[in-house]
Amino acid sequence: MGARATSLKTLKWKRPTLGNRIVVENIDAGYGAVNVLHGVSMELNAGETVVLLGTNGNGKSTLIKCIMGLVRPSRGRIAMELDGETIELTGKRLEDIVNYGIILVPEGRHLFPKLTVRENLLMGAFRMAARPHIARNLEFCFEAFPRLLERKNQPAGSMSGGEQQMLALARAIMSHPRFLLVDEPSVGLAPILVAHLFEKIKELKERRDLTILMAEQNFNQATKIADRGYIIVEGKIAFAGDRSLLREHHLVKKYYLGA
Amino acid sequence: MLTLDLFVNAIVAGILLGGFLAAVSLGISIVFGYLDIVNIAHPAFVVLGSYAVYILNSTFGIDPLLAGIAMAAPFYLLGILIYRFYYAFFERHGAESLRGLVFFFGILFLVEVGLNITYGVDYRMVNAFYLGKSIEIGLVGIPYRLLIPFVAGVAMIFIVYLYLSKTFYGMAIQGVAQDSLAARLMGADPIKIKSVAFGMGMATASVAGALLIMISPIEPSMGREYIGRVFAIAVLGGMGSVVGTLVAAVLLGIAESLTSTFYSPSMAPAVSFGILLLVLAIRPSGIFGR
Repeated sequence: MGARATSLKTLKWKRPTLGNRIVVENIDAGYGAVNVLHGVSMELNAGETVVLLGTNGNGKSTLIKCIMGLVRPSRGRIAMELDGETIELTGKRLEDIVNYGIILVPEGRHLFPKLTVRENLLMGAFRMAARPHIARNLEFCFEAFPRLLERKNQPAGSMSGGEQQMLALARAIMSHPRFLLVDEPSVGLAPILVAHLFEKIKELKERRDLTILMAEQNFNQATKIADRGYIIVEGKIAFAGDRSLLREHHLVKKYYLGA
Repeated sequence: MLTLDLFVNAIVAGILLGGFLAAVSLGISIVFGYLDIVNIAHPAFVVLGSYAVYILNSTFGIDPLLAGIAMAAPFYLLGILIYRFYYAFFERHGAESLRGLVFFFGILFLVEVGLNITYGVDYRMVNAFYLGKSIEIGLVGIPYRLLIPFVAGVAMIFIVYLYLSKTFYGMAIQGVAQDSLAARLMGADPIKIKSVAFGMGMATASVAGALLIMISPIEPSMGREYIGRVFAIAVLGGMGSVVGTLVAAVLLGIAESLTSTFYSPSMAPAVSFGILLLVLAIRPSGIFGR
């Protein structure tokens, strides 16, 4: 296993194609009569780790849900630019968006509790484009998350919260994502596990050249691994900038650092 | 020695009956266990399968088991149609529980009355060279008309078990039942997955129909006798566990056979439901329920 593990580490994964990106333009969205997002624009470029920051109820998750097709924007558009082609995502169904390679690790994990760890991972490869990569991705996941290998024949629902979050991440890797969206991964985890989780996300990102959009409340941890970020306040982008600017912005100080 | 002879024969007959009952219950176990659909019409579809086999056998002389397997394909498609209809008019509006039950109750009567009008109430049977024969092993005589349904039933359970646990669609059927949104996040369309599962349940009805008409002559309303038992077996085995379905069916088969042999055939259903109540009191999720 040792020799194989090191060989995997040096394996090259296909690098994200520069120019590929998801663009959100001026969307309004909400639930019923309640509008949550007001004219939100953002973009996620291939190779980046972008974080959506904001306290509860400001619209981070709604924005993620809009990209996935789980919430329909009432105005504006969402598109994916892929190898020079523009694909409209507005109005598409979740299943279609997943098949474009936009994969979500949802808040609350949504594992299959009675399926085993291994079966959960295999379900990640349900979409056709992920099938040819199963063997390699499975090996990668078990190597990156040794805990999952130990527990591969155990029902997912019997694991601890931290292990389940790792499985949710690994399952998304099995989907062979072009763009990986992660919604509030740290919710409900003990602080020490949160730190470990973000280290893992960073490791995955570096080893697999992932493109990640993450909604997160844990500012300190999230900005450690982000290239840039957006701060969402009351459904509007209140600030956009790279990591260093983000860490110094007054909104961050106001909301997170208690100043 | 006579009692031992009877006892051994009753046990063997019960096991054989169990394999057949498992085949009849498998569709319920899938559709009720994974899709939460109370397809009360399933036994009627089994009888419909028997008539299809009867026609193929009496008209073309096709072997009943082969006929049942051949009819599985059209039954699969019929199942997909029924599920799509059920989805469009009931499930989509969240009206599945009571109105859905009424829907399948209606289908049950449509099938029964349709068969009645077309073929009358006479008993029908199939012919095959092996159906009258049996093999003798020591004290026990095993008639082929019970042995073949047992082997076919167990084989069908085994195939469905492999399908559910080893294929992507099989795992997705389990996945949709556990967390429908999670399945969609993997790119699996729940409506498509459920259609396949329902179609599969219907396909098992066709094979089970062949087994039914091998064991005994049939008439249109015969499915009613099985409604109670198939749901008892599906629940007893643990919802959605196909292996549990087989174990529960064999258990019930033996219990019914022993009761019929040593007490009275009319008491057999009471014993079955007694076992069901007892098991559910100790293990509410059934024998193999997780």
